[in-house]
Amino acid sequence: MIKDEGSSSATSSPLAFFPALPQSPGMGSPYPSWLLEPRSEERGISLLKVIMTCAGHVASGNLEQANIALEHISHLTSTDGDSIQRMAAYFAEALADRIVRSWPGLHKALNSTKIVSVNEKILVQRLFFELCPFLKLAYVITNQAIFEAMEGEKMIHIIDLNSSQPDQMIDLLHTLSARPEGPPHLRITGIHEHKEVLEQMAVRLTEEAEKLDIPFQFNPIVSKLGNLDLESLRVKTGEALAVSSVLQLHTLLATDDDMQRTPSPSMSAHLQQFSLMNQRPLKDWLEKDPLSLLSMSPDSALSPLSLSASPKVGSFLSGLWKLSPKVMVITEQESNNNGSTLWERIRPTLFYYGALFDCLDSTVPRTTVERQKIEKMLFGEEIKNIVACDGLERTERHEKIEKWSLRLEVAGFFKVNLSYQGLMQATRLLRQSHFFNGYKIKDENGYSIICWRDSPLFSVSAWRFRR
Amino acid sequence: MGELKTSSPMASGEASVSSSGYQTAAVPVATLPPKKKRNLPGMPDPDAEVIALSPKTLLATNRFVCEICNKGFQRDQNLQLHRRGHNLPWKLRQRTTKEVRKRVYVCPEPSCVHHNPARALGDLTGIKKHFCRKHGEKKWKCERCSKKYAVQSDWKAHMKTCGTREYKCDCGTLFSRRDSFITHRAFCDALAEESARSQTLAVSTDVNNPNAKVVVASPPPPPLTPSTTVVSPALSIQSSELPENAIGLSPQTPKTTCLTTSTTTANTSCSSSNGNTTSTVFASIFAPSSAVVTQPPPPQTSSATSISSFPNLIPTLGRSHRTSTSTTALVPAVPIQLEPTSLSLSTSLYLSNNVGSSLFPTPPDHHDQHRHFALSPQPPAMSATALLQKAAQMGAAASNASLLCSFGLTTSSAATGKEHAATNTAVHWNSQIKPESGASATGLALGLGENSGLTDLVMRPSSLFGNQAPMTRDLLGLSIGGGGGESTGGLSALLNSFGGGGGFESSYGGEGQPERKPNGPALL
Repeated sequence: MIKDEGSSSATSSPLAFFPALPQSPGMGSPYPSWLLEPRSEERGISLLKVIMTCAGHVASGNLEQANIALEHISHLTSTDGDSIQRMAAYFAEALADRIVRSWPGLHKALNSTKIVSVNEKILVQRLFFELCPFLKLAYVITNQAIFEAMEGEKMIHIIDLNSSQPDQMIDLLHTLSARPEGPPHLRITGIHEHKEVLEQMAVRLTEEAEKLDIPFQFNPIVSKLGNLDLESLRVKTGEALAVSSVLQLHTLLATDDDMQRTPSPSMSAHLQQFSLMNQRPLKDWLEKDPLSLLSMSPDSALSPLSLSASPKVGSFLSGLWKLSPKVMVITEQESNNNGSTLWERIRPTLFYYGALFDCLDSTVPRTTVERQKIEKMLFGEEIKNIVACDGLERTERHEKIEKWSLRLEVAGFFKVNLSYQGLMQATRLLRQSHFFNGYKIKDENGYSIICWRDSPLFSVSAWRFRR
Repeated sequence: MGELKTSSPMASGEASVSSSGYQTAAVPVATLPPKKKRNLPGMPDPDAEVIALSPKTLLATNRFVCEICNKGFQRDQNLQLHRRGHNLPWKLRQRTTKEVRKRVYVCPEPSCVHHNPARALGDLTGIKKHFCRKHGEKKWKCERCSKKYAVQSDWKAHMKTCGTREYKCDCGTLFSRRDSFITHRAFCDALAEESARSQTLAVSTDVNNPNAKVVVASPPPPPLTPSTTVVSPALSIQSSELPENAIGLSPQTPKTTCLTTSTTTANTSCSSSNGNTTSTVFASIFAPSSAVVTQPPPPQTSSATSISSFPNLIPTLGRSHRTSTSTTALVPAVPIQLEPTSLSLSTSLYLSNNVGSSLFPTPPDHHDQHRHFALSPQPPAMSATALLQKAAQMGAAASNASLLCSFGLTTSSAATGKEHAATNTAVHWNSQIKPESGASATGLALGLGENSGLTDLVMRPSSLFGNQAPMTRDLLGLSIGGGGGESTGGLSALLNSFGGGGGFESSYGGEGQPERKPNGPALL
């Protein structure tokens, strides 16, 4: 019987029913074999349950319980296992990080000696580009939209908000040079926070442009997007401006929202769902198990029209608007991970990254180091950011396209329907490549949604500043 | 039927038919001739003269007849030329002094829309063609597609395009237009299945076979020609070809003996039935894999010699992504070490079909670096998304799920093989854990089915949870069966542990400050 929370006696804790039994002597392995089987749907489901429970504990501040839950998670997860195991490992790490953050000193001490290798980061970006088709597809669609908008233009200026892979611009150079009216005079402004990337980019692009005989100029800007000074973009009059933003805009949504914790309508929904403790706690708990929380409607937390206020994005977008771009193509993650509370975020994040981990699982073998790198340094870091951080630190704030369209419309942009051409090119790419199997692109109201087996993952949309 | 002919522009009463709405007498034309005014389609000039010709006249081919020799001509000018040959004193046929009056024609067929003068057609040739098309007999027929035409010019136009450029989607739909074909292909479901199947085939086939691509590009089998030559690059030929070959292979029982003999030309004969001269290498890899991977291999396995190697293929194919080129050397290769280098080297954006789009160079070289998990040992249910959905469903269904169930009561897998191992543990546990464990052990026991030591446990939990054993096979049943009202000691204990007092409402209502504060002095 469990009477007190602090009790960690395994026999009495219900969690001890888990096979992590130190007191099971005489067994070859402490874990029953069914837990270690490769085929274990049950393990996956129980993992999910524990994660939800743990998240609940963390959200409510029951660190003791959270600790126990984390302990149990650790027995089930593995960074080498199947996708749910891996994902759970990173979620557990993120939850733990969140807990540690409640002791700022502790957190700082733990993180102060981390060595951040810029090269690794750059490499991981490249790996993501290669092992998952999302970036390629986004580039294809973006390039097509830019190409179509720039029909007939002689002076083109493209601003790339995250100039990391040269492939996008190289492809655009090729298409532009092949167009019937001849290549335009092209300027590309690339923005990135690491100057090595931009240097590389400059070299590659200028060399390519020379081969194709396109008058070309590359302007690098080393800056984080949040600190970008739009003046430095040096947009000249008379040139046609295109902006390409691939998975960048959402970082601007980060605001110091600690002060904004007013109960929103979503909160009250939660309150009703879980009802107040003093009323019928037991019954409620009986009625809800952690998995039922998973089954909540995904957007119950964030009603589609309640946009969290974000001054930075607003001012950035209106700054862009003032530059009068002919077209602005935005690729973003299609997920509502921007809930104000952990509880609102955990479920969509699970689903979203579950799909991403599945993608990798289906295309890359388990033992590949590269896959682990992507999982750890890209997805893992994003998960950690979503789960553990808040306020300005939480930069991975994904929102679905409906919300983005609201923001963009408020800023004065008008939607441009993405053409069939781009969609077909992208689909053709998928079809031709046997490597990328199971991905789909579909058109929804003029936006292109890149899906993995029916889970929408990324959205691409195009906007112009004038009707 | 009376012959109604207009022979002169003078519209005398008997010569022309007109409805009351139209004038028959010569009417000064409103506009001057310099530019021929064209009326809007469907709206004939109200000033025009309406002419109704009989069917005979319309169908007549030679309207102009020489009065001397009765030779017929289709055109007046031709008749005149002919008449000159008769050495008649001729004079230039003067253009009528009258101004040209616009004429419109109606169709003699009463049931036709164009019978109504308001819907008259403006052109004589037009009305003749209309009459033939709609009310005439279709005398011309296309040989290729047996489409019939009444008007010869229509028929000729069709013959020009019939079968010349045709696009055929793999789902069987034919297109004459490239753009509609492309649009269709992009979203064709059948095509998606094909490519899915070809993925499985491509497991080991496409890999490190520079030969493969080359060979495939060379004469692809005829059935594929229309679809592939027009649109796709060599690769999609390859992809679309593979399923064809696979299917083609299965019925060829006698030929399958060659499958595993070796990497010899014997293999080519297998696929040569499709007219494909794939390289030995290609076929040799392709054939076994297709045999293994595609669903209907039974005919292929008829060959005794080939069977033996198939089982070998299966595990290796399942895991190893790239079989080496020889069938014999089905090394469960771990080409992973190649991956880093190839990854960094490749600009692996694949070539799209567009001119100028260089984003995506053709993949065959890049296939080397890619893993294929056509047969991943895990069933699809293992995917994280599937699990999440399942969990969500379970959660939704399990309105009575107790926490007890949710914790650690994962049923053992239904896999029979594991039963014994699991039973041991279950037994062991049960001996340790008390009545509560009765509930917990059900999780294990239920899935195990009838293991003697546990049958009573099985029974008990059934009563406890009130569900059938089959339901508890997977977690679904368990949580459903989870005692809604069960209040074993453990249950309430759980609740207490969770409740933690008032922290609860705030926690799930939303995070308040409590979470931030280190309110776990127990931890410190």
